[in-house]
Amino acid sequence: MGALAGKKLILLGERDGVAGPAMEVCLKNSGADVVFSVTECFV
Amino acid sequence: MSNVAVKGYAYCLNHVPELALHYGNTPYVERKTKGDSEFLKQLPGTLQRFDEALAYPANQAYIGGMDLNALEAHPQPWYAHRVEGASRFGKYGEIMPEDEFLGLLDMCDVFDLIWLEESFAARIREKLAAHPFMTPALLARLEKGHSPEEIRGEAEMHHALPLYFGEVPVGCVRQGHDVDECLEAYVLLENLACKAGGVLALLHLFKNAGIAPEDVDFVVECSEEAAGDMNQRGGGNFAKAVAEIAGCVNASGFDVRAFCAGPVNAMIAGASQVAAGARKNCVVLAGGAVPKLCMNSRDHVKKGLPSLEDCLGNFAVLLTPEDGVSPVMRLDALGKHTVAAGAAPQAITGALVWDPLQKLGLGFADVDKYAAELQIPEITVPAGAGNVPEANFKMIAALAVMKKQLEKAEMNEFVKQRGIPGFAHTQGHIPSGVPFVGHACDWINEGRIRRAMIIGKGSLFLARLTNLSDGASFLLEPPQAKKASVDSLTKEDVKALLLEALSDLAVSLGKREA
Repeated sequence: MGALAGKKLILLGERDGVAGPAMEVCLKNSGADVVFSVTECFV
Repeated sequence: MSNVAVKGYAYCLNHVPELALHYGNTPYVERKTKGDSEFLKQLPGTLQRFDEALAYPANQAYIGGMDLNALEAHPQPWYAHRVEGASRFGKYGEIMPEDEFLGLLDMCDVFDLIWLEESFAARIREKLAAHPFMTPALLARLEKGHSPEEIRGEAEMHHALPLYFGEVPVGCVRQGHDVDECLEAYVLLENLACKAGGVLALLHLFKNAGIAPEDVDFVVECSEEAAGDMNQRGGGNFAKAVAEIAGCVNASGFDVRAFCAGPVNAMIAGASQVAAGARKNCVVLAGGAVPKLCMNSRDHVKKGLPSLEDCLGNFAVLLTPEDGVSPVMRLDALGKHTVAAGAAPQAITGALVWDPLQKLGLGFADVDKYAAELQIPEITVPAGAGNVPEANFKMIAALAVMKKQLEKAEMNEFVKQRGIPGFAHTQGHIPSGVPFVGHACDWINEGRIRRAMIIGKGSLFLARLTNLSDGASFLLEPPQAKKASVDSLTKEDVKALLLEALSDLAVSLGKREA
């Protein structure tokens, strides 16, 4: 468990950067609670 | 057969600042929700005039009026260093002004949805009559026009949307049904503009590829619009509607949808039919997206920059069986972003770039140019979306480092050598790889490159059906020498070959005995 343990997270992903689901996977064992995750596209 | 010839290509833009100002989604929603805001007051002053749009270097590159290397070397910002003596027509297509485009909209309307004011309609008829590809049959589709009172009444009483030119109303788009939201005026404007863009690109393709309209066998359309009514929201189809207006009387067609991955998937769908012998040839095409006009203009206005998102983009490509002359699209090593591949950038790039290369026993350096998302950076960087093409090339380079095919220190050089500058408008499906097909084929023909990879990526998650994105890719290569087909061998040919082989055998036996 790291610095994010117990925190609530909002993940904003970007289509040509890092997508929301990819961040979710990275944070799976962080102990954080992902309350909202989305990927947007501005192009 | 695993290769298909790219026989011709056309790329056009429609410069439509008034459509952008009134019906681009960002200003349209702002007007509906906030009324006459400060942003909306400032926006008109940031839009380009037609001569400015013509002289914008990226626009010239899109229509084939400028080589991509010249674009890369052109001083930046491009909007401050316009091209002198820029022409409306390039070797791939044209930049059509808005008044003519409104006329083209009317030509493409078969349900009396577009009404043009009568004096405007007369002026446009004259202008379009001088257009090199507007046939008498097309010109005959232009209506005589309606009085300003009729047009005003249609807007006030029946929810029609006004069409503007020179800041004054010159017509309207009528609704297609009293209660069906899928047939309201805004949706029909979006769809008709997309159809008209596809028609314009197809008219240019006839000339560029040297094909008559009646010789087109099949059309695959790949925009991001949905044509349908309330019972079948996206029933389709644009392909056949475009073919009808352009006079492709022997063609049929269907639509392919995958957000920005649509065009690459459509190229694969079209090429596969040609390769299988199911179709003699196939045109892949798309018109542009009205809602995406001025999409990032809020940031452009805020930063005092020109709002460059004032053009609809469209394209058309003709695919035929291999002819030994035209560059080919390979079908034996296609990139596919599978469901299980995941959303991580390296997983996507791996599926789209590394997997097909591996299949052919090739490495990253065997591709001379990659073309992924080709949005114009001057549009996306001020809006916070970064330099999208460069980000994609960097990801490919990073993957090459991970696969130990490139030193980390060589990444920047890899991006510079094997990437290309973004030169396509933020029109969703339009920038996704396909704008490079024309330039790539020319460069292959000129011997400047041997292989290019076209990559399309689509944001499926925007439709709220899945969290997944999608992607597809294919390789372009030089034509291969024509191989003699088995069908073309006659009995005499076989006899001659057998006699030749027997004669060689006799000589070799004679030598052994001696």
